[in-house]
Amino acid sequence: MKFMVVDDSMVIREKIQNVLKDEEFEIVGTAQNGIEAVEQFKILKPRVMTLDITMPLMDGIETIKEIIALDTDVRILVVSALADKATLIQAMHLGAYGFLCKPFRDVELVEAIEELIEDIV
Amino acid sequence: MNQENLEVFVDGLTNYFDKTTSSLAKVSTPFLIQDINQYLSDYTGIIGISGNHKGSVFFTAPRILIVKLISEIGVLTTQEDKLMDLVGEISNTISGNARRTFGDQFMLSTPIVLKGKTEQLHVSDVTNIYVIPVVWKNMTAHLIINLNQE
Repeated sequence: MKFMVVDDSMVIREKIQNVLKDEEFEIVGTAQNGIEAVEQFKILKPRVMTLDITMPLMDGIETIKEIIALDTDVRILVVSALADKATLIQAMHLGAYGFLCKPFRDVELVEAIEELIEDIV
Repeated sequence: MNQENLEVFVDGLTNYFDKTTSSLAKVSTPFLIQDINQYLSDYTGIIGISGNHKGSVFFTAPRILIVKLISEIGVLTTQEDKLMDLVGEISNTISGNARRTFGDQFMLSTPIVLKGKTEQLHVSDVTNIYVIPVVWKNMTAHLIINLNQE
């Protein structure tokens, strides 16, 4: 299953890739802001992605809007430190499937992604 | 910034080390300081805050702590850009978690990361600057809170 990781932190991008390398995913791309994410999404067409909210150039909320406009079936897990209810509700309302708050344990990431894709595998 | 609000950052710092490392970190009681510069360490991540609070949140730590921490996170590197990236990410994560209490009008900038102790930072228009020490594996980092409620 094609997977994309979007986060402005290179350490978090690398951590997520490391955690998922033993799972049944093909990491097809990574991006460090929303603009890169949308451009790569058009080319790589991932089925699942993790997405940060606070990023330069284009934030995660705007990115969800643009990506859902391209493909309503993509499964987006928001992985963000923004722990307020309003951000969570806004992200889910726009089409995100799940929300994982930073900081997270490896097992929490795996469980959140398993939940995200349980009806499509 | 009152005691209850400071607890939000104590909890955020405790939670960060609890979730990302296997060794217990000891977070100490916050205290007031006059000059921020005497606490700056090898790397400092800064988040500007606007909206319902104004000011900044700093996470500052020695290189050796960041090298060990990045390894515990599962990224084996001593590359300077990744160490600095992690310091920015820590300051962003702890500040972002504070929105659970302060709400979505607690607005965060993207992180700025400084290297070295030579920078002379001047903090203006702030009545109180608090420092929260954290000791992890016998190394000390500091979270510095410099916020006024609007």
